[in-house]
Amino acid sequence: MSHILEVKNLRKEFGGVIAVDNASFVVEQGTRLGIIGPNGAGKTTSFNMISGSFKPTSGTIEFEGKKVSGLKPHKISRMGIGRTFQIVRAFGELSVYEHVLTGIMAHNLRFTPTADQHHEVDRILELAKLQDFRDVTVKNLTIASQKLIELATALATKPKLLLLDELMAGLTFVEIDETLKLLRKINEEMGITLIVVEHIMKVIMELCKKIIVLNYGEKIAEGTPQEVANSKTVIEAYLGEEA
Amino acid sequence: MKNNLEKTAKMKSKPGLIRNVIIIAVVLIVLLLLPQFASDYIIYVAVLAMIYAVLAGSYDLTTGYTGPLTFCHGAFYGIGAYASALLTLKAGFPFWVAFPVSGIIVFLFAAVVGYPGLKLKGHYFAVTTFFFGHFIYLIILNSVKLTNGPMGLRGIKPPESILGIDFSSLQASYYLILFFGLLAVVFLFFLVRSGIGKLLVSIRENEELSEAIGVNTSFYKVLAFSTGAGIAGLMGSLFAHFFRLLHPSTFTWMTSEMVVIMALVGGLGTLFGPIIGAGIITLILELMRFAPEYRFIIWSAALIVVLVIEPKGLMGIVGRIRGGKR
Ligand SMILES: Nc1ncnc2c1ncn2[C@@H]1O[C@H](COP(=O)(O)OP(=O)(O)O)[C@@H](O)[C@H]1O
Ligand SMILES: [Mg+2]
Repeated sequence: MSHILEVKNLRKEFGGVIAVDNASFVVEQGTRLGIIGPNGAGKTTSFNMISGSFKPTSGTIEFEGKKVSGLKPHKISRMGIGRTFQIVRAFGELSVYEHVLTGIMAHNLRFTPTADQHHEVDRILELAKLQDFRDVTVKNLTIASQKLIELATALATKPKLLLLDELMAGLTFVEIDETLKLLRKINEEMGITLIVVEHIMKVIMELCKKIIVLNYGEKIAEGTPQEVANSKTVIEAYLGEEA
Repeated sequence: MKNNLEKTAKMKSKPGLIRNVIIIAVVLIVLLLLPQFASDYIIYVAVLAMIYAVLAGSYDLTTGYTGPLTFCHGAFYGIGAYASALLTLKAGFPFWVAFPVSGIIVFLFAAVVGYPGLKLKGHYFAVTTFFFGHFIYLIILNSVKLTNGPMGLRGIKPPESILGIDFSSLQASYYLILFFGLLAVVFLFFLVRSGIGKLLVSIRENEELSEAIGVNTSFYKVLAFSTGAGIAGLMGSLFAHFFRLLHPSTFTWMTSEMVVIMALVGGLGTLFGPIIGAGIITLILELMRFAPEYRFIIWSAALIVVLVIEPKGLMGIVGRIRGGKR
């Protein structure tokens, strides 16, 4: 059981606001880890630090034993960490096909895409059940589809670790079920380690082998879904938030 | 959705390809035969139109495909023109050395300016390029010892003859500019359609996502900016040795602005839109010289009409007539 990611004493301040406060955790190779916590707990900020969008105020992040904190996002992506954004981001003017192809080009640039690379796009579109939208312009699709396209494009970069920030928010129950199946497949068949941030408890409970709970930037609990669901600190944090 | 799919499929079908080939063939034949029947004046205008077409096309690489709005393409054109003229006049290099070297100088110069500059976001970079362009004009104007300033730089020689072609003749230099203009367009065409072109477009569409999927966005932005600039520099060199007289007033902010407007009218991010748009606009503006006081009024009105009808410019209008996308 080797660790793919090791986060040590991670901290991020914005002016006076402490968004992440000395968080430490390890992620096992091949696992499905969930990160939960009330709004503003520092989940997205943590993702932004792991993927290089933000520099940590202090602390280190190691990916496969190599320090990644402080590197540019494209370098981290090239090392094998993929991500999707909480607020969907897309190359709106491209067709779905070109969108995914761009992900392949970003990691394996060719003057003209090879036949293998074209096949790879088709394979990914099929996996994500996007083949019917192949030639549609991305900006004309629903947010739900765009999120799926973002995921498919991240897959095209052949990540070893994927950070998914509220991928399921705003999806219908049917879409959530489909996406859950897809995530399992990505994890089990492609061997990609997943870290997911979700507000939908059903998703977290069903999908994740381990859960980390953040509150005001601090890690307040860690354990299996059962352990976390029964943890007093967690219940208090959530009830305190809602009351 | 199905409908949309069918439409896209149709657009890529054979008749479209054949039509494009026919259009390109006709344009090429006209350009090739032009010196055989046209007056000297028309040939001069055509040369100017070709130069502006390539300027707008190379501008499109930076702004249309990669995204950053810039207002200094005319300055790169000017640096190329003066660099080439001075390399031949003062340093004694033949044109055939000065021409590529001036392109390389402008490429490197743009990289040095673009590397820190492109870290600025959106409007800030645009404003910076505007002042940068004006700054270059002032340098050309005031470095009297080097550029002869407002008196203009005279005595620039035509390209030395090769293969027995004497480039001091109008016809021959027309074909020279046509040749390098086409070369530049073909280069740009393959570049924007290549894998690199896809990465550039991804930066334009969403820089953060582009970076997150592994694109070194700062590198590619500088690359696109410098490549566009380098091509403008090459055009400047051709201009210098064609007209054989340089004056700073050719490279004021108005020139940069014209390139921006031509690219906008043609349709940013379509390559052929800016190229065709620039060609047409140069022709119209030149042919309207008989009425100088109305020239820019009519031109401005036409510009507004085009952009109100279709923000995507001429290519957008063509697309709509064909009933294509959107
Ligand atoms: N770019 C930023 N600038 C300033 N404050 C920020 C920024 N991003 C996040 N924050 C603050 O950091 C805290 C954590 O936010 P975030 O990580 O987005 O929480 P979560 O994703 O868990 O809802 C919040 O208080 C938020 O306002
Ligand atoms: Mg968040």
